Amino acid sequence: MPESKKNVLDVVIGYQEAVKIKEELAKTGSDFSDQKWATANTIAKLHPKRLTLEVSEVIDETESTKTFRLVSTGGPLPPFQAGQYINLFVEIDGVQTARPYAISSSPAQRDYYDLTVKRVQDGFVTHYLLDHVKQGQQFLSTSPMGTFYHNPIFHGQDLVFLAGGSGIAPAMSMLKNVFDNGLAHQFHFIYASSYIEDVIFIEELRELAQNHDNFKLTEVISRPPEGYQGITGRLNADLIKELVGEVHNKTFYVCGPTPFNENCQTQLDSLDVESRFVRIEANGPPKNPDQLNHWPDSASMEDEVTITITGKGSFKAKAGEPLLNSLERNGYSAENACRSGECSLCRVKLVSGNVFNPPEAHLRVSDKQFGWIHSCVAFPTEDIEILL
Amino acid sequence: MKQYDAVVIGAGNAGLTAATALQRGGSKTLLLERHNIPGGCATSFVRGEYEFEVALHQLSGLGTEDRPFIMRKIFANLGVMDKVEFVQEHQLYRIVVPGEIDTTLPASWSGLRRQLQSNFPSESENLARFMKLCETITLESFMMLPKARKANDEKMLKASCPNYIKYGMRSAKEVLDEHFDDENLKTILAAYWCYIGLPPSEIPFPDLAAMIYAYAAFKPWHIKGGSQAMSSALLESFMEAGGEVRFNCGAEKILTSGDKVRGVLTEDGEEIACAAVVSNASSIMTYNELLDHDHAPIAVREDFKSRRMGTSAFVIYMGLDCTPEELGVTSASNFICNTQDEEAVHAGMLTMNAPVSGMLTCYNFDDPSFAPEGKSIVSLVCLQYGDVLNDIPEEQYAQTKYEFSEKLIDVIAQTFPKIRDHIEEVEVATPLTMMRYLNTPDGAIYGFKQTPQDSELFRERIESISGLYMAGCWNNMGGFQPTYMAGESTARAVLKQLKSEKEELENA
Repeated sequence: MPESKKNVLDVVIGYQEAVKIKEELAKTGSDFSDQKWATANTIAKLHPKRLTLEVSEVIDETESTKTFRLVSTGGPLPPFQAGQYINLFVEIDGVQTARPYAISSSPAQRDYYDLTVKRVQDGFVTHYLLDHVKQGQQFLSTSPMGTFYHNPIFHGQDLVFLAGGSGIAPAMSMLKNVFDNGLAHQFHFIYASSYIEDVIFIEELRELAQNHDNFKLTEVISRPPEGYQGITGRLNADLIKELVGEVHNKTFYVCGPTPFNENCQTQLDSLDVESRFVRIEANGPPKNPDQLNHWPDSASMEDEVTITITGKGSFKAKAGEPLLNSLERNGYSAENACRSGECSLCRVKLVSGNVFNPPEAHLRVSDKQFGWIHSCVAFPTEDIEILL
Repeated sequence: MKQYDAVVIGAGNAGLTAATALQRGGSKTLLLERHNIPGGCATSFVRGEYEFEVALHQLSGLGTEDRPFIMRKIFANLGVMDKVEFVQEHQLYRIVVPGEIDTTLPASWSGLRRQLQSNFPSESENLARFMKLCETITLESFMMLPKARKANDEKMLKASCPNYIKYGMRSAKEVLDEHFDDENLKTILAAYWCYIGLPPSEIPFPDLAAMIYAYAAFKPWHIKGGSQAMSSALLESFMEAGGEVRFNCGAEKILTSGDKVRGVLTEDGEEIACAAVVSNASSIMTYNELLDHDHAPIAVREDFKSRRMGTSAFVIYMGLDCTPEELGVTSASNFICNTQDEEAVHAGMLTMNAPVSGMLTCYNFDDPSFAPEGKSIVSLVCLQYGDVLNDIPEEQYAQTKYEFSEKLIDVIAQTFPKIRDHIEEVEVATPLTMMRYLNTPDGAIYGFKQTPQDSELFRERIESISGLYMAGCWNNMGGFQPTYMAGESTARAVLKQLKSEKEELENA
């Protein structure tokens, strides 16, 4: 308060003393100008919004799988927790899209991130990556994210990883984390593949298993060649029990194609493994949403619907295609990362019409009331209008 | 160039209420939010089957339908009362000092007095006197004091605020010491200090008095769907009134002509013209980074010098596969302290040492619908200053976070020993997480340190940049009710400016 003006608060006992304290504070305080951009810089060290990456090496793993080694062309790569993914932005035939890939390299070094990518039948992005991406190519990505990692608060040290096919990528990173950081975990890796030619990283895994007492490797082949000596068939409760022994108080990580994940969940349920001991990695939108509960009877996957974006335009799409994908194909973009309904970054507002939200959508309670959807797993079962 | 009457930067509590009040008040408003969802800290996130409330513990100021208080009126004016549902908490809190105190206070003004008098019979008269003082000083400071200040009338102040004159500038600790001998009673009554972030010796008595009185008389509340439901409801009301919002679009610069606002440059590089900007960002960021001047105005720099950075928080969000009863929860809000020395608790907030005090909120205690059937959602909180993490190398951040989590769980497990056996989902937020999502210096959650000198009683309204308004906890108290109210009152000031500018134009 200016000295000249009478301040009515002066009659409050202690006010003038408190003003003096404020004056003292002002003598030793700062105008915070020395902290300009400090907040942004601190956040950027752990969670930069975008990484600028370059392919430093392409490693052929199998006929159907390559590892892309990515280095930063910007600042240092941020640390990550083994099991996390980055969402890689790509432009294919003029369509800007993105896919999340788990980092397969060790979190103990940050010179590069490895992404191990297996060809997906009828895929869009994996074909592009495997067939066209060469050393020197540059990409943008998100920083590492996701909740599929060892959380020491409740996962314990006795770990079992059930991987199917390319689900090995996060497992490799978790495994390397155990060895590189000298963790006292017991790590039992059960690796299911269809064909022996598809088995990724197998030499490295066998060697690691030989050299580390706390690592046990089990290979399971569902379509073995004639005369194959190892374990064959699909993972089922009996086999899991036989391989793992006591199933309780172990944490199970499950990562693979959707049918593999669903099967593992069923088998672990039948062994009465409590859900707090089971961590299943999200794996994209459901392929057959029309097979799920609450898909409207009146709708078919092939129905053509009109998507209107308020104030921006409209286009036609199929009811069975995730909204985010059709938006991208038609030149619209929404922020996104997990593309599996979990991260909520692709949240958009539904102005009119209905979409089918599968269980993957992980919407908030109030989202249903106010019409917010996760576009990556939302299926427009009728004409809709959305706000971008 | 797009033109608006007002641009609101940030869709936190104050940004949302400011934008909604502006648009409903007839000014064309654009709301910019750098994140993809409205709410700031008034939000939630989903893990597995659980939706976790991020920040709201006990909403104050609502009152009951029979005895409504100010927030009911404000929410009604903002058009959200028919969009949200409130759930009353029936206890203020349970406070436990292991081996010394274990008391649960009812959310009732008369019930509170009865219970404390029966627990502390020798303090019975002192309690009656103290509670009367809490009630009258709260009414004086909210009703009569502003009038006397506006009139700058000493006589009016003396006549209408006798208790404020005597106790208004004293610390909560001094007033507790003056009234009571029993240390346990003082600890029990001071528990809400952590909603301000400074120990009772450093907070003005009226602030503690107002919390005790307001929570007991007007009840603590939760919102169905969490604070996110309120944030989404406010946004809905804003949009229904014709307001425009852009998500994933922060403000890059506040543009001025000399000392007058002329617009905002967005993160996407678009220039937007407007007569007024309401900033829900921290004042530090607003003036030192967003404003297109080389230096903050001198009045701002002088004001900053007597401010000190406030506290952040360390929070563990847990989904448990047991009911509140199985966990042993008997009250939604629980304070667990290993010491009755609040100064020591506060000193610990400046370090990474094991916390000596923590809070547990169980969201589905008063309303089971807040968690899946048979399960529970709890938050474990201890306040912590953000700069303690400055020296932790980024590659050690995750490990540091988990180690500290274990220590906080240790504090809470003294009262809830089964908590570790039921964890189904966990997410940990450190001061850096607060910083990332709130974009505040040091992840501060209540703005500057809320010392007596931080109060607006010691501050002049800064009008160095005409058309630039601050809304949020950096120029007012922190917390939900204060920030909702700050946005609403800021909107009134903006509407007044816009109206007088319009009249000037018409008369020109």
